[in-house]
Amino acid sequence: MEKYLYIALFAPLVSSLFAALFTATPKKQFVGIVASLLIFSAFVASTILLTHVLGGGEIVHVELMTWMETGNLYIPFGFVVDEISITMMMVVTLVSTIVHIYSIGYMDHDTGFNRFFSYLSAFVFSMMILVMSDNFAGLFIGWEGVGLCSWLLIGFWYHKESATWAANEAFIMNRVADLGMLIGIFLVFWNTGTLQYDGAFAAMANLDTETLTWIGIFLFIGAMGKSAQFPLHTWLADAMEGPTPVSALIHAATMVTAGVYLVVRSNELYALIPNVGLFIASLGAFVAIFAATMALVNRDIKRVIAYSTLSQLGYMFAAAGLGAYWVALFHLMAHAFFKALLFLGGGNVMHALSNELDPFKMGGLGKTMKGTMIMMTLASVALAGIFPLAGFFSKDLILEVAFVDHHFIIYTVLLLTAGLTAFYSFRIIALIFHGEDRHTALGFHPHEAYKFMLVAMSPLLILAIIAGFTFKMPYFEMVTQLLPATEYHVHSQVAYWIMTIGTQLFVIASIFFAYKKYMSPSIKVPDGTSKMENSFAYKLLINQYYIPYFYEEYLVKPYRELSTILWEKVDQKIVDATVDGIAGLIHATGENTRDMQSGNLSTMLKWMVAGTIVLLSLAVVFGLSVRYSGEITTILSGLGV
Amino acid sequence: MLDHILSILIFFPMVAGIFGFMVHKDSMRAYGVAVGVIEFSLSLWLWFAFDNNVSGMQFMEHLPLVPAFGINYILGVDGISLFIIILAAFFTMIGIASLPDTKDVKNMIITLLFLQMTMIGVFAALDAIVFYVFWELSLVPMLYIIGAWGGPRRIYASIKFFLYTFTGSLVMLVGMLFMAYFFYQATGTWSFAILDWYRLILPESFQLWLFAAFFVGFAIKVPMFPFHTWLPYAHGQAPTIGSVILAAILLKMGTYAFIRFSLPLFPDASVYFMYPIAIIAIIMIIYTAMVAYAQKDVKQVVAYSSVSHMGVIVLGTFALNVEGISGSVFLMLAHGVVSGALFLLVGVIYERRHTKMMDQFGGLAKVMPRYATIFGLMMMASVGMPLTINFVGEFLSLLGFYQQSHILTLLAGIAIIVGAIYMLAAYKKMFFGEVTIEENRNLPDVNKRELLALIPLAMITIWLGIYPKPVLGPINNSAEAVVQLMHNKATSEEAKLRIPNVSGVVISKTSMKEGH
Repeated sequence: MEKYLYIALFAPLVSSLFAALFTATPKKQFVGIVASLLIFSAFVASTILLTHVLGGGEIVHVELMTWMETGNLYIPFGFVVDEISITMMMVVTLVSTIVHIYSIGYMDHDTGFNRFFSYLSAFVFSMMILVMSDNFAGLFIGWEGVGLCSWLLIGFWYHKESATWAANEAFIMNRVADLGMLIGIFLVFWNTGTLQYDGAFAAMANLDTETLTWIGIFLFIGAMGKSAQFPLHTWLADAMEGPTPVSALIHAATMVTAGVYLVVRSNELYALIPNVGLFIASLGAFVAIFAATMALVNRDIKRVIAYSTLSQLGYMFAAAGLGAYWVALFHLMAHAFFKALLFLGGGNVMHALSNELDPFKMGGLGKTMKGTMIMMTLASVALAGIFPLAGFFSKDLILEVAFVDHHFIIYTVLLLTAGLTAFYSFRIIALIFHGEDRHTALGFHPHEAYKFMLVAMSPLLILAIIAGFTFKMPYFEMVTQLLPATEYHVHSQVAYWIMTIGTQLFVIASIFFAYKKYMSPSIKVPDGTSKMENSFAYKLLINQYYIPYFYEEYLVKPYRELSTILWEKVDQKIVDATVDGIAGLIHATGENTRDMQSGNLSTMLKWMVAGTIVLLSLAVVFGLSVRYSGEITTILSGLGV
Repeated sequence: MLDHILSILIFFPMVAGIFGFMVHKDSMRAYGVAVGVIEFSLSLWLWFAFDNNVSGMQFMEHLPLVPAFGINYILGVDGISLFIIILAAFFTMIGIASLPDTKDVKNMIITLLFLQMTMIGVFAALDAIVFYVFWELSLVPMLYIIGAWGGPRRIYASIKFFLYTFTGSLVMLVGMLFMAYFFYQATGTWSFAILDWYRLILPESFQLWLFAAFFVGFAIKVPMFPFHTWLPYAHGQAPTIGSVILAAILLKMGTYAFIRFSLPLFPDASVYFMYPIAIIAIIMIIYTAMVAYAQKDVKQVVAYSSVSHMGVIVLGTFALNVEGISGSVFLMLAHGVVSGALFLLVGVIYERRHTKMMDQFGGLAKVMPRYATIFGLMMMASVGMPLTINFVGEFLSLLGFYQQSHILTLLAGIAIIVGAIYMLAAYKKMFFGEVTIEENRNLPDVNKRELLALIPLAMITIWLGIYPKPVLGPINNSAEAVVQLMHNKATSEEAKLRIPNVSGVVISKTSMKEGH
């Protein structure tokens, strides 16, 4: 089995290096094909490992070599395939295979075609390290690696100012969280003596709650950055500057779920500190509704989907925080399928309309892009959580978890969010595909994407439909080998049915409302004059609660200004000026006393006389003080010296 | 020959330098490269012959100079100095090989060879006077390099560099003389041998004064805040090769001396001054990183980033445990490689455009893709990306200090944020966006000669990031020896507590490994 582990891990690296060989040459179709095949081989290897794990085989655990060893610290490159990591491996390799194939079409006309595949595969490799590592340090390698690839890919079109700005923002904001992560790792090491998961979690049982709480908090800060939780969320929406396949893979299906993975992986820790767990859940619920509200009004289809991702990540954290780790992981998986599908569909739309993103400028695209329309609609249905699609099984389960655990505030918030989710998802569906044709007037001539791109997307479509009812029970049985096997049942049958049907009706009502509102022929491209656009709520939401503004004005600008002040005023005017001042003082002393040595006989005689007098008086003073030393001592001691 | 390999390493470049005056200037470059390659091969041979399992000094040489005062020519290397010596030989080699066409190339190469002698001398010397001699001598070639081949304000910069560091060294010299005098009083014989001094346990009050005296010399060299202002001038005016050697090797003399002198000689004082020094280190890290962000000249960004990284090295050193000290020594090497490479990279663009102002660039990624790639790699190493060389050192340094103080490590950890800010901002200004300035449109990409220096550095950056063991192992052994010595010598209660007892730890480590 180790062989397959190595294939799954290193095939993406080989793919990345292979593509890197051609970065300087013009587009080569085969680079994309070879890269896709290599990623596919990683997927196949993962599948074999999955069957191995499902068959009850032993956990595959390898130690490649030592990484760092000094003092008490011992960090190997160790990799493990267990029930948790295999879930992530399957999601990562499957979605990335599809995204690779899709990108062959999507990046068709891009001059950076080869470079793109190199970065994309490097990302997959980092992500595999992240999820397969058997220790916190290895996790951190992957953690930073995906950050780097995310930076490269968001800023892929580096000639665009907005893209490079967004790339740097994402990197730096993640770095803030990484510091928390790093401190968490230090805490783990100094308190448990190891960074290996098994050893560290075993030792944690004997630690006091305060230490554990700190560890839990700091690790979660790390998770907040990668998973873009409030207040470190602004980078995710800006990250949509990257090519759409990147958004689908990195900023929807895989990288942003790394934080959830970390919490699930550390379940033994978080089980010991339920207070931190409750905080995570509350923050998750808050982010769920917070992001959903921003998605309601946004006029950029990718950003809407990004906020939707943020919102769903909130759901996952809510589940993980409440101790329903397997539910969080299950929703992670289901979400990866339908969200990636949604993004790739969005990519088709963008491609058709030469990168136009405003859904108000589209309308009626369903006629020309039937395939994309069906896929995106079904993905949205899955996202909204309509029976029997994937979202119903994973998302409603989270609602049940909150309900069963008597966290009714969280439950209510998540329920409301479910309604909002359905509304904003179908708002863009209605605006893009239905209603009046608004795009022809603007000079767009849409066309459906390449057939192979649609074919590549189809596995995601199938999974978005069936993942819920076919996978739920087998998955539960597999993953609870490792995670707490809590089943969540509402005790009363009646309450269960009321809840389920009620939620379904609520969601369906939201969908209909969205359709009704945004299919009407009176929809026009908003020009900032309508009453709604001038309302306070709309302004608040479209400006993302003014949080980016706040960051820019109160963090970025002061930092820049302070830096300039430190350089120009402090470093040059104070620190360096002091040094030069001392040097100048010595120099001036020399300048001013050089008259003494002018060689003029009368001046020198004058100084000679002065010197003699000084020396004589000194001699007298010392002579006297020696003679009367006894008296002087008494006087001084009398003075208390 | 192995018995005298250190002497050969020190004096071969000097002899070669003297013969260099006789070499014709057209063949000087080949001659310099040949000398550099031989020297580097010798240093590799040293590594090959080095016994990794010995934590003490190896290849010791002993020759009396002034027996009456116990001044001897003593040399030796351990895991801490070994790799800095190799790095010095390496940088001189690639420095000469990648030297662009400058005026007086012959004198430049001779100067570099003399500089190499002094650098290796500093790291191999085990006698305080010999150490001091090499320490001061190293100023002279650098003074020439900045003063003769520098930019418009080269005279100011070189004199400032010389006087500033020289003043600090004089205070250090006084400390050394006092130390020898104490040794004389305690034992009745004079000795300047560092290993002899190690055996001396000083009362804490003496330690504090002596620590302070040595500190002045070392801190200016590192340079630590607020003694750092000579560095931006020196880097700003120095030619590329000068900046490379200065950043890669000369700065390391200060941090190396902390580990060689301050820690084992004054363990109680080291503990006493740990917090103040850590606070200075944190100021260095954050303050200079912010100053770096405000720069308009890309070379100054790298220069200030050096100070910021040296802060992490100092912090790791004063973690006073094996993890921190190993990390700081490793980070010295890492910073040498990465900042050296960054200065070389800045030199590449300066050669082409004769400006270092970032607003003169933009969009270079399109024009010079290979250059952008190598720069990107080194930038990522500089911000501490895992699997690059810097991360290992930074991680270990911070990890080590975490044992001493949580909150200070948290503050020092801001390094990874502010470091990313100035580096990414600089990279964005230079490489991203559209090409706006006409002159930049047809810049040639890095050429073979430049790649000759950059490719090996890039390879080391990744190799030691993935597999640091060959270097970290010997460093670890010697760091353990230093920590154990400090623990044994410590007299105050607090110092005994702060400095871990390594010998007790070794057992638990083996048992831990068995557990895996």
